[in-house]
Amino acid sequence: MIHVENLTKRFQQVRAVDEVTFHVAPGEIYGFLGPNGAGKTTTIKMLAGVLRPTAGRIVIDGLDLEKEPIEVKRRVGFIPDRPFLYEKLTGLEFMSFMADLYRLNGQSRDERIQRFLELFELAEWARELVGSYSHGMRQRLIMSAALLHGPRALIVDEPMVGLDPRGARLVKSIFKKLKRSGLTVFMSTHTLAIAEELCDRIGIIHKGRLLVEGTTAELRELAGQEDSPLESVFLRLTGAGPDGEEEIDFL
Amino acid sequence: MHVLTLLAPRWWGLKNVCRLGGRRTLVKAGSLLAITLGFWVGIFIIFYRVLRYFQGVEELGDLLAYKLLSMVFLTFFGLLIFSNILVALSTFFLSRDLGTIHATPVSMAELFAARFVETILESSWMVLLFGIPIFTAYGLTYRGAAGYYLGLVSVIVPYLIIAAASGVTVTMLLVQLLPAQRTRDILFLLSVLLGVLLYFLFRFMRPERLVDPDAFTSVVAYFRALSAPSSPYLPSTWATEAIWPLLRPTSISSAFYQGFIWMTAAAAVVVSVGVTLVTYPHGWSKSQEAGRPMMARLLGCLSLGTGCRRRGVSQVGALMGKDFKTFFRDNTQWSQLLLIAALVVVYLYNYSALPLDRARMPTFYLQNLISFLNTGLAGFVLAAIGARFVFPAVSAEGSSFWIMQTSPLTLGRLLWSKFAFYLGPLLVLGLVLAIASNALLQVSAFMRWLTPFTIFFMVFGITALGIGMGAAFPNFRAENLAQVATGFGGLLYMLMAMSFIALVIVLEAGPVYTLFMAEARGHPLGMPQWLYIGGSFALVLVVNVAAVWLPMSYGIRRLSTFEG
Repeated sequence: MIHVENLTKRFQQVRAVDEVTFHVAPGEIYGFLGPNGAGKTTTIKMLAGVLRPTAGRIVIDGLDLEKEPIEVKRRVGFIPDRPFLYEKLTGLEFMSFMADLYRLNGQSRDERIQRFLELFELAEWARELVGSYSHGMRQRLIMSAALLHGPRALIVDEPMVGLDPRGARLVKSIFKKLKRSGLTVFMSTHTLAIAEELCDRIGIIHKGRLLVEGTTAELRELAGQEDSPLESVFLRLTGAGPDGEEEIDFL
Repeated sequence: MHVLTLLAPRWWGLKNVCRLGGRRTLVKAGSLLAITLGFWVGIFIIFYRVLRYFQGVEELGDLLAYKLLSMVFLTFFGLLIFSNILVALSTFFLSRDLGTIHATPVSMAELFAARFVETILESSWMVLLFGIPIFTAYGLTYRGAAGYYLGLVSVIVPYLIIAAASGVTVTMLLVQLLPAQRTRDILFLLSVLLGVLLYFLFRFMRPERLVDPDAFTSVVAYFRALSAPSSPYLPSTWATEAIWPLLRPTSISSAFYQGFIWMTAAAAVVVSVGVTLVTYPHGWSKSQEAGRPMMARLLGCLSLGTGCRRRGVSQVGALMGKDFKTFFRDNTQWSQLLLIAALVVVYLYNYSALPLDRARMPTFYLQNLISFLNTGLAGFVLAAIGARFVFPAVSAEGSSFWIMQTSPLTLGRLLWSKFAFYLGPLLVLGLVLAIASNALLQVSAFMRWLTPFTIFFMVFGITALGIGMGAAFPNFRAENLAQVATGFGGLLYMLMAMSFIALVIVLEAGPVYTLFMAEARGHPLGMPQWLYIGGSFALVLVVNVAAVWLPMSYGIRRLSTFEG
């Protein structure tokens, strides 16, 4: 479903993403992990069509993003890490606006909007300005908008940021359900427990390069830590000390 | 100690912009400096000439200069108070870093001191911008010695402190009554209304009568009636009384009023500190509440609970609907329409007040000449309004621009929908200016058609320049949309719009003159003249099409490479 080949992004002299290649199969949830500044968000922004790659190729659902950006965007839903929205629209108006941008028509349009607002527990606040929403509510609104047009692939940057435990559980359940119905999810996260619980495969990016990818069992094997938690495996693979004891000695 | 630490981020930010900004920042700073210098020179020349003129008026000249100085100080004081309230709302209640600062061990007194200094610095630029050339003109006209300039500093510093302390005190009290966001909106609206009122008052006072000997006797009577010092409790009066003896020998000592201003400044700061210490904690917690848009309650179509139970609309329709709602729900946006309304009224009033009958040229010739030049003037007005509303249209997407980037929408469609959104209102405005001023001037039938037609096509170019250049130089991080056009892109837009208008006027001037003179003299036109006229108007059409197509394509191209 998502094919990325030799993807590179340079910002002046810095190679934020350096020849990254991976493939995500239909119905698969792919976790994209890495330390801060590793190139996760830059990769995600390129997949969503916000940034243009310096080199490389992105193909989603058989369509080249560079050549057919509009068709690709029609099939993709994007959830950014920071929920910037139109503060002066109500939640319902924002959903309606997104439905129009994705050209959703027919009688099911309003029903879908209402069902998603209810699903994400926003129906009660639908007629309030987005400016008065909490961080978690905005995040849920963005998620419902991203799923509204029935995308075939979902690109998510840090899905659980700002969500309370109830919201986080809801999102996990939705992702699992959507996966069963064939939706492909590419998501970056720092929450390793969520990656372990949700993702079929995980890729670890560090300093712009994709270090390793595989199932959690394969990553443990690669790190030589078969029985360790994913956190230790991650730290080992990204070159950090196991617990940083020496660095925090001065405390 | 913490006070300097709290002020440091501002200074570091400025230093980093200078250090890392590169050539573009230098060009921007250079352009702004050039504009400021031009502005200073303009104001200086106006005031210098007015004061020299006053000096030539026997007996009354000094009184006029004195009154003008007191008006300058009074105007500054009013504007400073207003500006200090708006700035203090931001520095004490709405600034994004406050959440972090309140979590640190900074005492309230230290926070007050730091934010007070910031408030003074942010709100006093206006006095520097307008004051320096005015006070220099006074100094040069009345040959002020070094004592005048030192006295000026000694008066202006406490003057700014009084205004800032009063502004901060009023802000602290206002926030007790209303949430800070709502207070800012209401004050913004009031400031716009105040601006409109001042504009009307100034214009309807007909200052041009000052140079009209027929009206002069009444002006003399007016100033005689005002010869006693006015409003003795206002700091503006004390400032005038402190400065005037340094320019003209009087019986009053400058030092007395200087001491008075300094003492008042000290007292105002003490009061401000006291009020802040008592009220700030409660005000800060209130400032976290959100307000509801004012206009939404006035216009039913904008009310928050309606308008979504319908079938879908096209992408352009959705974008225009969104822009309409966000514009009218933002009090800082729609309220500026009041300024435009005032501008139109005064613009048309100017035409009704033109003393055409006293001119030496034939009236019919002058009427038509003015009507033709009015095309350029109306174009200029439209370009200026475009700078405020059309140029920031793309930047208005702000941090939400990612939605446009990730949805199945071409940037061309986005820009053309913005073009369509602003074209209608600008067309209406342009045609009102053209048709109404022509009616007031009672121009010939030919001019009655030419001006509206020219403006009609010009509006397409001006709108496209605004959208295209705004897309080429977007500022998605601007907190205030009014600031978007003050940057380099806004300057470039104004220059291009002015050049476009000038080109259209120049291209039309020759053929219009030929046609007009032929009609006035009753001579029929020959084939070469018709070819010349036809060619010129065809060129005007080409220029108009280019003014639409080129900036829009440039904007789409530049915006598609935007990476933010």
